[in-house]
Amino acid sequence: MTSFTIPELRTDRLVMRAPKASDIAAYAAYRASDRTIHVGGPNTWAQSYNMLCAIAGQWIMRGYGRWIIADKSDDTPLGVSGIYHPEDWPEAELAWTVFASAEGKGIAYEAALAARDYAYNTLGWTTLISLVAADNTRSVALAHRLGCHQESVFNSESFGAIPVFRHPAPGTNA
Amino acid sequence: MIPTLHTERLTLRPLTLADLDHVVLFYASDRSQYVGGPASPEQVWRMLAAEIGHWALRGFGRWGVDITATGVTCGMVGLWQPDGWPEAEIGWDLWGDHEGKGYATEAGLAARGYAYEVLDWPTAISLVHPENEASRSVAKRLNATHDGMFEHARFGVLEIWRHPAPTGGSNAA
Repeated sequence: MTSFTIPELRTDRLVMRAPKASDIAAYAAYRASDRTIHVGGPNTWAQSYNMLCAIAGQWIMRGYGRWIIADKSDDTPLGVSGIYHPEDWPEAELAWTVFASAEGKGIAYEAALAARDYAYNTLGWTTLISLVAADNTRSVALAHRLGCHQESVFNSESFGAIPVFRHPAPGTNA
Repeated sequence: MIPTLHTERLTLRPLTLADLDHVVLFYASDRSQYVGGPASPEQVWRMLAAEIGHWALRGFGRWGVDITATGVTCGMVGLWQPDGWPEAEIGWDLWGDHEGKGYATEAGLAARGYAYEVLDWPTAISLVHPENEASRSVAKRLNATHDGMFEHARFGVLEIWRHPAPTGGSNAA
């Protein structure tokens, strides 16, 4: 037997947990919206289902991955954050996204901080990047709020040129 | 939880990143034309992640198939029902030069046994591209019968092959 060992993180307002089948309605609605224009969308429900599966699957392939961000009080899915690392990526990426209903509440910031803390303090990593499209102004602002600075541009076959933001190292002032 | 199954010649075990090269080669070849290919390595990585993660969302999925005697990986076989699928499917893909040896049939039978006996499925289908003669032969060897068509946005029009129902005993073939 192989088990999915996807840890659960808790913050003030959020639980970051494994994806599950009941997340598909919220996730597919997000993937169908213009909000995914910077991340390969929009997508059909069927495509979204496979993408939701892939969020879980990377945990077995890599030993780390992304979580569903959920409301700690009622488990409502609010977004996705964690460490995304497909084959073609330049290195492991701290990624975040929130669904429309969760925007403007600092949820992505809270989740990304927890994910970065997990990478640095649980996995023992010393660095992380985030890939943020230049015209994705909200995410660029969040990268700055997280203490990142742009250091290069990654040319993705699938997504085109994406600025690479480097996170502050563990123990440095974010 | 992803179990490991053993047949006379084969081991069906959890897929891992080590399967990636096999899947990339398959989806770079013409042999993938009946299952949505060809696809780039970047796409295949995400497809493999989805295959593995399907276990987490559904509680079942596909296995990597090894030839037990040699440890050589020969394919990916198992149970598949993402949203957008007409019903629960038994699917098989063989890698490289491993066709024609009965591996898909042997692994498919084990997967069906797991579906019927462990998961308690009342029925199962397999979807076969109309031009995929090799896959249709596997369906026939598993005693499945042609039961209509299904049109999928990405894969086109596919034949539905319905497997014999569980007998309540061992494998229903």
